Amino acid sequence: MGEFFNGIIKSFERNLIAGDAYLIVLNGLWVTLLISGLGLLMGTIFGAFLCALRMSKIKILSGTAKFIIAVLRGSPVLLLLMILYYVVFAYSRIDPVYIAVLGFALNSGAHIAELMRSALEATDKKQLEAARMLGFSKLKAFTYITLPQAGKIAKPVYQGTIVNTIQWTSVVGYITITDLTRTVNNLGARTGDPFFPLFFGILIYLGLSYLVYALFSIKRKPGEVK
Amino acid sequence: MIKIAGLKKSFGKLHVLKGIEINIKKGECIAIIGPSGTGKSVFLRSIALLEKPDTGRIFINDTEITSKKTNINKIREKMGMVYQGYHLFSHLNILDNITLALKKIKKMNKVNAEKKAMEMLNMVGLIEKAKNYPDQLSGGQQQRVAIARCLAMEPEIMLFDEPTSALDPTMTYEVLSIMKKLAETGMTMLIVTHEMNFAKEVSDRVFFMDEGIIYEQGSPKDIFENPLKEKTKIFINGLKVFIYEIKSLNFDMVSMNAKIEVFCQKHNINSKQKYNSQLILEEIIVEIFKNCYKNSEPDLKYTIKYSAKAEEITINMDYTGKMFDPFEFTDEDIIDNLGMILIKKIIKSYKFSHKDDCNTIHITF
Repeated sequence: MGEFFNGIIKSFERNLIAGDAYLIVLNGLWVTLLISGLGLLMGTIFGAFLCALRMSKIKILSGTAKFIIAVLRGSPVLLLLMILYYVVFAYSRIDPVYIAVLGFALNSGAHIAELMRSALEATDKKQLEAARMLGFSKLKAFTYITLPQAGKIAKPVYQGTIVNTIQWTSVVGYITITDLTRTVNNLGARTGDPFFPLFFGILIYLGLSYLVYALFSIKRKPGEVK
Repeated sequence: MIKIAGLKKSFGKLHVLKGIEINIKKGECIAIIGPSGTGKSVFLRSIALLEKPDTGRIFINDTEITSKKTNINKIREKMGMVYQGYHLFSHLNILDNITLALKKIKKMNKVNAEKKAMEMLNMVGLIEKAKNYPDQLSGGQQQRVAIARCLAMEPEIMLFDEPTSALDPTMTYEVLSIMKKLAETGMTMLIVTHEMNFAKEVSDRVFFMDEGIIYEQGSPKDIFENPLKEKTKIFINGLKVFIYEIKSLNFDMVSMNAKIEVFCQKHNINSKQKYNSQLILEEIIVEIFKNCYKNSEPDLKYTIKYSAKAEEITINMDYTGKMFDPFEFTDEDIIDNLGMILIKKIIKSYKFSHKDDCNTIHITF
């Protein structure tokens, strides 16, 4: 037993402490957070826009949005990243991190557009009508009735999308970005002891997921019923 | 206060409203009754422009709301609508359900809005539920909140679309008593309802809707005790009606009997009466065919009416052709008319008339 723990401590020292390796890991973590955070932020804005188009009564707009969503949701995000990096931005000097942000914004945006649409459609139209009867304008009724209700419906799915996106950012190594996954992989290659750094990487991703879950389950203010 | 002229509305090929003309004075309480699917709800919803009329004009306080220039949101502030399904805002507690519109539309501050809301909740007897959410309340309580939510906006007109149809008798009573109180304050109310007793007791005027129009209207006494028109009578007296037409000598008697069977089952008519109806109809039709339609196709129509109150069946039959009374036969034909003799024993009363080449038989049993 003691030997086992000694082994782990040794591995820990060799992989993460020696040569300030933990700083490299932190750097990789930062890149991962940057890509997922910015990607999701832009993806949410893009998704809202796509969703608005998709739900438009004008056939051309909704048709276009439907097509864009289908293509983006139906293609692997890695291929999308490679096309952006090797084809679209092949001759520009943009930092690949921002290309990755764009890629994830597009991909998550398409998913978020659909999740927004399904949440909006799941709200009770009768309550909307009741609001209109109380004198609310269309916009006000949407803001005060539909939106908060749709938000509540969308919350668990949106949380899943965030966790998913964070995990999918692990493929950005393919376009020369040194993110968390790349970093732990490099460490393992350097020390010849891949198990520990890779396992450690998983723990960090797991930690991130739980952080997201924790953020989403913050309770209502105390004192409220239900 | 409300004036409606030539209101028409159809959904695709289905013409729901076929020209409604009414005038409603301030403070009137109107009950709208009628069979299902006759456009009662659509009519009510049209007044709030929740359904856009195809043609026709609606005036509220001399403002034409069907005109494009009218700001419907402003008009709706003056109206309250209560639905069968309550439609409370599910993400807000009871207090916020009422204060939301006060704050956002009437621009009241939080303190005043809550004061007003509590006043309304007090009126419907639900102060203690202020901090609860709609799904924690019973149907009757939710409906009372819905009424309170409307009243907080101080409307001039209240529209009720089957407010108690989803409630059990106790809860119905809770809601109706609030509505009755409201009617006593002189609120202008339009109520689509199936609660006949309530309509009789509370309303000033009753609209009976059928065929896409206000088929008959009058005081509750007139409508419930002396309805003038045919369909109103059928509805008020709880008559069940079956109509059948025969246009060919080779008509499908088996299918006709099956339809009568279904009609009787649906309305709990006992099997003896069912059997008798079938027997009478068969015999009479055969007699009529033999005598009236030797060379021509028949034109015969009959209705079976069942009054649940009197447990009595009435058959009315019209048929064209020469004058022929199937119940009139001489003793010599007695062998040929055994069926008819049998029938004579069953029936209670019988009338025959002939006018303009059309025979009419009226049988009750």
